[in-house]
Amino acid sequence: MLVRRPDNPRVAISAGPRGAFREDVLVEAPAVGRPRPSAVRRQESWLAWGLLTPTLLVILFLVAYPFFSAIYLSLQDKMVGAPGRFVGVANYLDLLRDEVFLRTAWNSVLYTAVAVGLKFVLGLTMALILDQPRRLNNVFRTLLFVPWAVPVVIVALNWRWIFDDLSGFLNNFLITFHVTSDIVSWLSDPRLAMACVIAVVVWSGTPFYSMTFLAGLQAIPKELYEAAEIDGASTLQQFFFVTIPRLKTIFLTTVMLSTIWTATNLQFVLILTKGGPASRTEIFPHLAYTTALGARRLGMGAAISLVFFPVLVVLIVLLTRRMLRSADE
Amino acid sequence: MVRTTSGSRRILKWIGNGLLVVLLVWTLLPFYWMIATSLKADREIYGFEATLYPHRPTLAAYGRLFGTTPFMKYVRNSTIIAIGNTVLSLAFGCLGAYALARLRFPGRALIARGLVVTYLVPPALLFIPLFAVMSVLRLIDTHQGLILAYLSFSVPFSTWLLMGYFRSVPLELEEAALVDGCSRLGSLVRVILPMSLPALAVVTFFSFTQSWNEFLYANVFVNSVEVRTITMGLSLFVVEDVFFWGPMMAASFLSTLPPLVMYLIFQRWVVKGLTLGAVKG
Repeated sequence: MLVRRPDNPRVAISAGPRGAFREDVLVEAPAVGRPRPSAVRRQESWLAWGLLTPTLLVILFLVAYPFFSAIYLSLQDKMVGAPGRFVGVANYLDLLRDEVFLRTAWNSVLYTAVAVGLKFVLGLTMALILDQPRRLNNVFRTLLFVPWAVPVVIVALNWRWIFDDLSGFLNNFLITFHVTSDIVSWLSDPRLAMACVIAVVVWSGTPFYSMTFLAGLQAIPKELYEAAEIDGASTLQQFFFVTIPRLKTIFLTTVMLSTIWTATNLQFVLILTKGGPASRTEIFPHLAYTTALGARRLGMGAAISLVFFPVLVVLIVLLTRRMLRSADE
Repeated sequence: MVRTTSGSRRILKWIGNGLLVVLLVWTLLPFYWMIATSLKADREIYGFEATLYPHRPTLAAYGRLFGTTPFMKYVRNSTIIAIGNTVLSLAFGCLGAYALARLRFPGRALIARGLVVTYLVPPALLFIPLFAVMSVLRLIDTHQGLILAYLSFSVPFSTWLLMGYFRSVPLELEEAALVDGCSRLGSLVRVILPMSLPALAVVTFFSFTQSWNEFLYANVFVNSVEVRTITMGLSLFVVEDVFFWGPMMAASFLSTLPPLVMYLIFQRWVVKGLTLGAVKG
């Protein structure tokens, strides 16, 4: 609900959350200068389109066109290097009957939910710890955020080496200190493989959560805690009634962004397990990858990658709305 | 009541310290193992004599990396592509962001929305059709092809981020410049850019590290050793399921350095740009 302020039409009053009112400078207000003749405006319009041309070309040719051609491709039986035949929704119907696909669907949900959940808990813990006053906190923060800067491929290779059956750090360590006498096949044991993959995803992705949560924590005015303390709120109550409500927006944005990125990242699986053992760690993006490039079935690969898109669309729409709103603030 | 709070705060502080140690071990252990492995001789890496730390540290793995693998070629390719992408993202981003932040024209809101959507569409969805596009344009196995592919995520991000920042530059400054006879582009270069250095730093950081770290497109659009980037090259150190872990860890360590150094330099500004400006404060 926007109401223009009578004394200044460039400022709008809008109802914020919980009945608070907020004044915004209207975005559509003329950027520079006062009302101008239409010739100047037309010139400005031309300039704008000129400046935006490279960006628009990128959006159109590198994202929009490929996206729609993915849909078209998924309706064909196209192989790499051969013309495709239009087959309607046959690819999708085949998928629904495919056991590997159904297992992949379940794996993808499990993988994404558990990984995002753990990253959230660990990220919040990390942020709360780093928000406590402590000497050298800057150093600890820098160290804890380092995994975020490491290329994912290197993270995955590094952990693959840690999990290595014969000479990896884990087995090496466990045997040296007599925790086990047999080697554990971390990545090839059907019961352990998924847990190991998720552990690596969590290791790599937690800093992103901590960073955004910490930024949110530090933006909470200290007076709120002082007021709560005077009112007799315990530390726990302060956490639930001051901290959590203040972080709610950041929680949502972070989780939604991370869900998109986690669900569609195939690098961890590709390098750690290749979807094995027996498809136990197979997830959609990796299955699409192996189908399109390994089996060279481009049409089917496109269909697989599009199957999980409807869920992403919901997230993308919600996130877009949020980001546009926050940009207008 | 107030006393209880300070008491429980002390307990929390010690719990915090304890957890901090656990988290530091969890975070740093893989780095320890990476660097330790890179400093070992093969004898200490494999088999029954494998050790938890290098008993006789040696740089042999680094020697093998530079002597017998095309690692330097990979470094060159990654550098060319990351720098090319960064320069183009900055240029396209500044121009587009200025139009969106300061000019009035029909379709502006739509483009702003398109940018966010574009940024959020994951590469996992695009790589198959993009592969077809690249084949048609004969851009497979070229630096240009990969730079172009990376623009698909770096341009929407930079334009969006810079747009938010340009808007926060006071209008009056630009109006003064325009009245003094500065052109639009002149005021972008002389007024807005100098005031947007933190945002330019974030864009530089993200474009560079994202291109340097990218793997999926690098894997799909490049086969030739001459164009192969580090991330792809590293994963190919595996020969017939045999990993050469010494040189591999040496290479991992060295290839982590550029993004790591950039992170250390830019970390002050980077957090703000993390979620595309969605996190305020």
